[in-house]
Amino acid sequence: MQARSLASSALPGTGVAAGCDSQSPLAWVCIAWLVCLLLVWLLAVSPVVSLAAETRAEEKPVLTVLSWGGAYERAQQRALFVPFSDATGIGVKVERYDGDLTALRQAVADGHVPWDVIDMTRSTALAACDEGLLTSLARDGVLPAPDGTPPARDFIEGALGDCFVTHSIFATVLAYRTDAFPGRRPTRVKDLFDQQRFPGPRALQRTPKANLEWALLAQGVPREELYRLLSTPRGLSLALAPLEGLDDLRWWTRGDTPSRLLMDGEVVMASGYNGRFFDALVSQGAPIAILWDGQVQEHETWVVPRHVDHPQAAKAFIGFATSAERQAELTRYIPYGPSRQSAVPLIATHRDTGVDMRLYIPTHPLNSANAVVLDERWYASTLRRITQYFDARLIDRDAASAP
Amino acid sequence: MVEQDQAQQSSPSAFLVLRVVRFLGLVALGAIVGGVAALVAVSFVAGVVWLNDTLLISPRGRMMFEYPHWLVVTTLAVPILGGVLVGQLHRLLPQHRPHGPADVIAAVQTGRGRLPIRAGAVSALSALVSLGSGASVGQYGPLVHLGASLGSAGARWLRLSRCDDHITIACGVAAAIATVFNAPLAGIVFAHEVVLRHYALRAFAPVAAAALVGHVIATNVLARGALFHVAEAPLPRSWEFGVFLLVGGLGALIAGAYMRAILAVGARSARLALAQPLRPAVAGAMLGVAALWVPDILGMGKETLRFATIAGAYTSPELLMVMGLKLAATALCLGMGFGGGVFSPALVIGTLFGALVGTLVASISGVTDTFVFYAICGMVAVTAPVIGAPLTTLLIVFELTGSYALMTAALASVTLACPIAAQLFGRSLFDIQLARRGLDLSVGRSQAMLGETRITDLISDDCVTLTSETTVAQAVAALTRSGHALGHLVDGQGRYRNSLTLVELYRGQERDSALLVGDWPRTPRPVLGPDSSLWTAIGLLQRGAGETIVVVDDEDRFLGVVREARIAKAYLRHSDALNREEHGAG
Repeated sequence: MQARSLASSALPGTGVAAGCDSQSPLAWVCIAWLVCLLLVWLLAVSPVVSLAAETRAEEKPVLTVLSWGGAYERAQQRALFVPFSDATGIGVKVERYDGDLTALRQAVADGHVPWDVIDMTRSTALAACDEGLLTSLARDGVLPAPDGTPPARDFIEGALGDCFVTHSIFATVLAYRTDAFPGRRPTRVKDLFDQQRFPGPRALQRTPKANLEWALLAQGVPREELYRLLSTPRGLSLALAPLEGLDDLRWWTRGDTPSRLLMDGEVVMASGYNGRFFDALVSQGAPIAILWDGQVQEHETWVVPRHVDHPQAAKAFIGFATSAERQAELTRYIPYGPSRQSAVPLIATHRDTGVDMRLYIPTHPLNSANAVVLDERWYASTLRRITQYFDARLIDRDAASAP
Repeated sequence: MVEQDQAQQSSPSAFLVLRVVRFLGLVALGAIVGGVAALVAVSFVAGVVWLNDTLLISPRGRMMFEYPHWLVVTTLAVPILGGVLVGQLHRLLPQHRPHGPADVIAAVQTGRGRLPIRAGAVSALSALVSLGSGASVGQYGPLVHLGASLGSAGARWLRLSRCDDHITIACGVAAAIATVFNAPLAGIVFAHEVVLRHYALRAFAPVAAAALVGHVIATNVLARGALFHVAEAPLPRSWEFGVFLLVGGLGALIAGAYMRAILAVGARSARLALAQPLRPAVAGAMLGVAALWVPDILGMGKETLRFATIAGAYTSPELLMVMGLKLAATALCLGMGFGGGVFSPALVIGTLFGALVGTLVASISGVTDTFVFYAICGMVAVTAPVIGAPLTTLLIVFELTGSYALMTAALASVTLACPIAAQLFGRSLFDIQLARRGLDLSVGRSQAMLGETRITDLISDDCVTLTSETTVAQAVAALTRSGHALGHLVDGQGRYRNSLTLVELYRGQERDSALLVGDWPRTPRPVLGPDSSLWTAIGLLQRGAGETIVVVDDEDRFLGVVREARIAKAYLRHSDALNREEHGAG
């Protein structure tokens, strides 16, 4: 994931019923739930006591948080870090994260990790968790909703992992020029591939991610079955066919390219991160609109590495930062979607421009009706092979025909 | 009944209250049975998915596996080992075969009830192993049987009557269907249409409660996508309904071929010189080899089902080939003794068939937007005759797609498919299986029930027995004293020899009063065994067996007689009970 420095937007939505995780066996859910209950019971007292001990011993610790920089980090400063320091007296020092696990691996091997909390994509968090680089969070410290709904029911599916807590959701979406199709507007992912009704050049990210999902959605495959079908040669072939059929297709690799291509009028429809499109729309007044149908969501999570200096303070921070109120506050700076249902009704306007943020938050029910949750586990073990196939059929073909 | 009568005499209103409370108790029991059956069904479905992913059967599991070259080995090894395990599991069962919906139907239709929980659990486990290791079988049959067994166990545990046992069995069945399809109406209708085969308000309420609980559990716990889902269905042109009818007619033939193939492989494999527990492993090996080329035939085939609803996913020759292979693979797996249902493979075969028709129609007429209609029509045209449940399949389509247009099209197909298949093959695969086991349900339920009732309790020893040395005069005197018109000649070893009417004896007495009855010419009369059914006894009566029928055991020993009046009384009692069960309101 390259740095999406300008907010990708999103508010957490209630209706994100979930997608690709549907195959997670029920038995696991039950076991996890029971284990969770047991842990909550066991830990009911201890964290509070030890946090008190920790703070007493060190007076005011300073938490080191690793985040992505840019507008994203500025938003976190205003919505999370400063209010946390005000509330607890614990200082927060922010360092820039590059999305890589190499440094963390080394630090864990050395037995001392200088970053107490890291902001990771869920796919990275899953890999780091499997490698044993992270502390088990087991949901301790995560607060219930304001109305008392327990976190397990309040957070969206897949948000509470063994060693991570999803704090927000960003999405890869389609956007189109509002002046490109007089008299009609694209409303479905299907319209991406319909160059008869919606003529003009397209721009898509040069990766199988999202593109394959959209190609199948356009053929009537329900979102729950996308990854099962993409696991067969027939499904892959079926997904590539409409992509092959697109005329005037541009491939982009940098996150800021699609909004520029749209603003310059080089393409009429493009995929991109919702935060980038929001920025182009609100800050630069671009004549574009977001097509939320088929948005592909990914999770941003908080994790605590092993061997950190202030584990209890780190967990306290995660509890604070993932509360419904703080999640809603973050959406007033960047369009990242809250990961819990109870934060959705609290979404208001943009602090600086007064824009109604509900329209730009991926997880808001207005936008999330047909949202796909990216299956990171699936991609983790298949991306290399799928990309080879994707490149062979689409990219190399274009390269061959271009000169 | 006796208690109720007494209660009614003492206080009519107290009796009414008691009756309502008892009925509400039955509804509550239905809900509890539904809840348990639904949770078990949910775990079963999750277990199959997990096993398929772990054992590299599902496409997802295969795709995510890091060493693709080893897939050849696992594709062969997993079905074989699964077959070995299934073979061993089946040794724990009576008749060494997995139980299924046919056994549920038999239990209810004969009035026997009382499904053993052990057979249900072992059959479900064997189905779990079969499905988990990729056998081409269905998951709904075992779940229906397991739900029914749980319901029956509940009724037994509370010492309820057999009539209530039937209701709790239906509750388990309805909950299983309602949960796995997330289709409560289909669950209720399936329990009535296939298992109970009558409609009584007394049964409806508990069954509906069970289906509702199953539905609630399915929506809250089983975060699962619809089995099939149709984004936007355009309205078919009017001439297309003619094609849907045709799909129904042809679908009936495919359903027949499917049922015949399963039964034929079953009959052939019984004659194989191969120990029964090893047969599934052999089927697994053959399946594994075929799956190396066509992995679509492994398991339940959910992906195949989906692809078949997408125009252009398969070419016509591919559709034909996968359909044929799936049919053969299912017949092989079920016939050779894997455990599992027949519904899911029928769904796949039917959908592929419908897709084939849809592709042909598109190539002839150029109509492509209604492709999914053909797929769904083919699906119901094949599945409805196989399980003998036209209304259920229609409701499943409706509840899963929410599309009225699709259901109407499916109705056109079912209209023709079910009667044609019933005429040519039988009401359902279950009925055909039961008929081959000697239980013919095509003539209605009273025969099944009377056939299941033994005459043992009707045997009376109030009769006149004669020995070979008795003279005619003595015999006449004895009969006149007792008031019976028939005497029975029993020899020294207690074996039945002959029956003599009073009239015959009179005539003999007129010729020679010292004549011994042992010298009398033997007139052949029909006799009953101690285990004969009431149905047999009634048959003998109809053929003029007379006022009493002699009962003898295997070695011809005389056990007593059954009187016409007692047979008639028993018959009336049974039809009364049947009426109460089938028309009772509460």
